[in-house]
Amino acid sequence: MQEYEFELKYAVPAGLTLEMIEHRLFEGGCDDALPGVGQKGRLALAFHRNASSAQRAVNSALRDVGHALPELRLVEVGPDWVGVSEVAGLFEFSRQYMLKLINQNQETFPLPLHEGKAALWHLAEVLAWFVEYQGRTVDASLCDVAAFTRVFNIAREFRGLNDAQRRQAVRLAEAG
Amino acid sequence: MSRDRHSKKEVEAALAYAESMGWRIEKATGHAWGRLYCPFNNRQCRCGEFCVISIWSTPKNPGNFARQIRRVVDNCRGEAEVN
Repeated sequence: MQEYEFELKYAVPAGLTLEMIEHRLFEGGCDDALPGVGQKGRLALAFHRNASSAQRAVNSALRDVGHALPELRLVEVGPDWVGVSEVAGLFEFSRQYMLKLINQNQETFPLPLHEGKAALWHLAEVLAWFVEYQGRTVDASLCDVAAFTRVFNIAREFRGLNDAQRRQAVRLAEAG
Repeated sequence: MSRDRHSKKEVEAALAYAESMGWRIEKATGHAWGRLYCPFNNRQCRCGEFCVISIWSTPKNPGNFARQIRRVVDNCRGEAEVN
């Protein structure tokens, strides 16, 4: 058994009180999660769960929450999409230092999946870069979680496509 | 100011740490012992959902739970300084 830390974020419909949410989560076996309830209509659960793999840890948490509170809708499974501040926090750098690292290593640093006011990367790619190019050791269970959440979120996106779009996406992926 | 102590000593220590950083505790009834409120719970704050956290009376693993509370408090502080 290994400990895995990850976060599930949900949209909460009106009419569910905080007391009800807490009660059902606790009764449903989510006493290994820290509930964040600071934003209206949102519930974030920071899990610290024992399981034999990252996939089993995340899937069992999704199942537990789904049974306890079927009216919630999943927004995001993380850590996957991360910005500069989150990566900096993870390695205990300042935000400024992290920006400098990215700018000085433009040839090798992973390309963002979105750039705009704030850029986003897949955590799994950023962790792999730190291991390969900076010689950092990264917690193995964090790497496992980030690899799985990435696949999970891509699979969810894929599920949102219709049949024709799915076939098109597979063709594009295989064409490289 | 006096308040009820949490029965798990690791959690109680994390709560005391949060209070020393300006977080406010409100007692609750039921499975949640109480709730912890971030001092910057406003537009400037970047804690997001974790501006308010529920504190279980009997978390599955008090040590892990206490560490998670401390991490939320530390993240909050960091972001508040950036802003």
